[in-house]
Amino acid sequence: MTAARVNNTEFAAPDIVNTIHQRSLAVGIIFGVASLIAAILPGTREQFFHSYLIGFMLWLGITLGCLAILMIQHMTGGMWGMVIRRQLEAAVKTLPLMAALFIPVLVVGIPYLYSGSHEGGAGWSGWFNPDPADKHLVEMSHVYLQRGGTATFLFLNGYIGRAIVYFAIWIMIGWALLRKSAQQDDPPIENLSPRFRRIAAPGLILYAFTISFAVIDWVMSLDPHWISTIYGFIFIAGELLSAISLMVVVEAIMSNYEPMVSLLKAKEVQDHGKLMLTFVMLWAYFSFSQLLIIWAGNLPMEIRFFTRRLNSGWQEIGLVLVIFHFFVPFFMLLSRSFKRNPHQLAWLAGFMIFMRFVDLFFYIEPNFHKSVLGGVAGYWLDLVVPIAIGGFWMALFFRNLRLRPLLPVYDMHAQQFLEYAGASHE
Amino acid sequence: MKDPRIFGLMAEFGDVNSAITAARDTYAAGYRKLDAYSPFPVEELSEAIGFHKNGVPLICLIGGLLGGTAAFTLQWWINTISYPINIGGRPPNSWPSFIIVTFEMTILFSGLSAVFGMLALNGLPMPYHPVFNVPQFDAVTKDKFFIVIFSSDKKYDPVATRQFLEGLNPLSVAEVPS
Repeated sequence: MTAARVNNTEFAAPDIVNTIHQRSLAVGIIFGVASLIAAILPGTREQFFHSYLIGFMLWLGITLGCLAILMIQHMTGGMWGMVIRRQLEAAVKTLPLMAALFIPVLVVGIPYLYSGSHEGGAGWSGWFNPDPADKHLVEMSHVYLQRGGTATFLFLNGYIGRAIVYFAIWIMIGWALLRKSAQQDDPPIENLSPRFRRIAAPGLILYAFTISFAVIDWVMSLDPHWISTIYGFIFIAGELLSAISLMVVVEAIMSNYEPMVSLLKAKEVQDHGKLMLTFVMLWAYFSFSQLLIIWAGNLPMEIRFFTRRLNSGWQEIGLVLVIFHFFVPFFMLLSRSFKRNPHQLAWLAGFMIFMRFVDLFFYIEPNFHKSVLGGVAGYWLDLVVPIAIGGFWMALFFRNLRLRPLLPVYDMHAQQFLEYAGASHE
Repeated sequence: MKDPRIFGLMAEFGDVNSAITAARDTYAAGYRKLDAYSPFPVEELSEAIGFHKNGVPLICLIGGLLGGTAAFTLQWWINTISYPINIGGRPPNSWPSFIIVTFEMTILFSGLSAVFGMLALNGLPMPYHPVFNVPQFDAVTKDKFFIVIFSSDKKYDPVATRQFLEGLNPLSVAEVPS
């Protein structure tokens, strides 16, 4: 027990991490102030919450995607996970920030998000403020929000209650994994891999269920009459894609500095590129399945999602997604040499995070505007607010990254990895 | 110079790292016609002997594109030209419903082209190969690594090459009869 802890200077994150931390914080503060002004001004407050939901889902997706990849990595093993484990853990550690960032939606945002769509005369009423003529929706909204009777909105609210449950589950899984990970750095050295697996296996199942419920709760319910059973999986694929893309961007930055210069091999970068290809294809597969089933069924209640998104200019955004969220990255990622170069791959990865934003924009904004031009005056906030959230997220992520060595040196496979990395470095 | 009865010289190594180092040294010494054998895939070993690219990915891509195009064209031709049927009032060219078969055929054709392209390019099945004439070579499927310099290499010399290989600290050096 007296053996020294892992020396933090060995495999410590490079100084660039500090620089990025400070710059991200500056970006977060500047864009955060702009967002705050938009939130305060009554004219832009509604748009602020639409943008906030896009930004929140984007960065929550990256956080939870990292949690899922961390769990997959514990289940499958492999060198590809060894070089990004610490980055994944740093991302998981931002979960409390994401939980805190959901509070504005819970306290102020619900009426601005879930009051339905009234623009252009062909809209619908929402959960929060159902049309009395729509008996079914009125009844369901009581179930959905646990509202009615004498219970006040804030205390007995189903929406809030469920949000707390989701975050509690995610934070518990993340905390359990991080606690084991901290133990692993603390001698005596024991093989913790089975313990990690015991958390990761049920954790992955819980993740799939909770994220499905959460996106139904937070995003699909923007249109209360429309349902899609594959919805959660589309978001899971998107989250995994944005998470692995961020890992590629970070590793491309780190690959210029020690210790990653000697640790990161083209083979591991290629594996991350393969994962990107997998998730690009998975996203396309799920998204197309949704389209095909709804198109084939051709039922009035189901097709409303696509009739709105394939008309009045929204179809152009859809086309952008088909081309740049699938075809372009798909063909680029087929190339082996492209996947092996972290700096080339990072450009595509950064672009994919932007395309994740476009995808969320395509899922969320058409709920509020019948025509794409209908809300064009407010779309600038859709960029500003996600950048603000991203700035704070990145600041916390890089601070977390600074705190621990970049390689889990006492992991079973780490020694083998180091030996291997050393051999090919001669 | 070349003795037709000799296929090359084989050096045996006990672990992966010394095999990689030896392969690099061999390549650096100017030998180009060489091969390395290992019980499991070692990417560094392929790189060390200068084996970078092959035609399989291109064959696979072309196969996939052909399969996808053929599948879509077939469905389009059947549904619009050969035998159009009104299915739930949808247009004859209902492309969304063609995508699944198109996708599956792309996968099938690229998979088959990868397998047969690989077989065509590497000359398998190969009933006879000279390396198996060396008794030690049996361990290649267990725990030993081998580097063979072919006698067809320009730099190959029965004496000098043997001396060179012995300088790499192998477990053994053997002549491979062809």
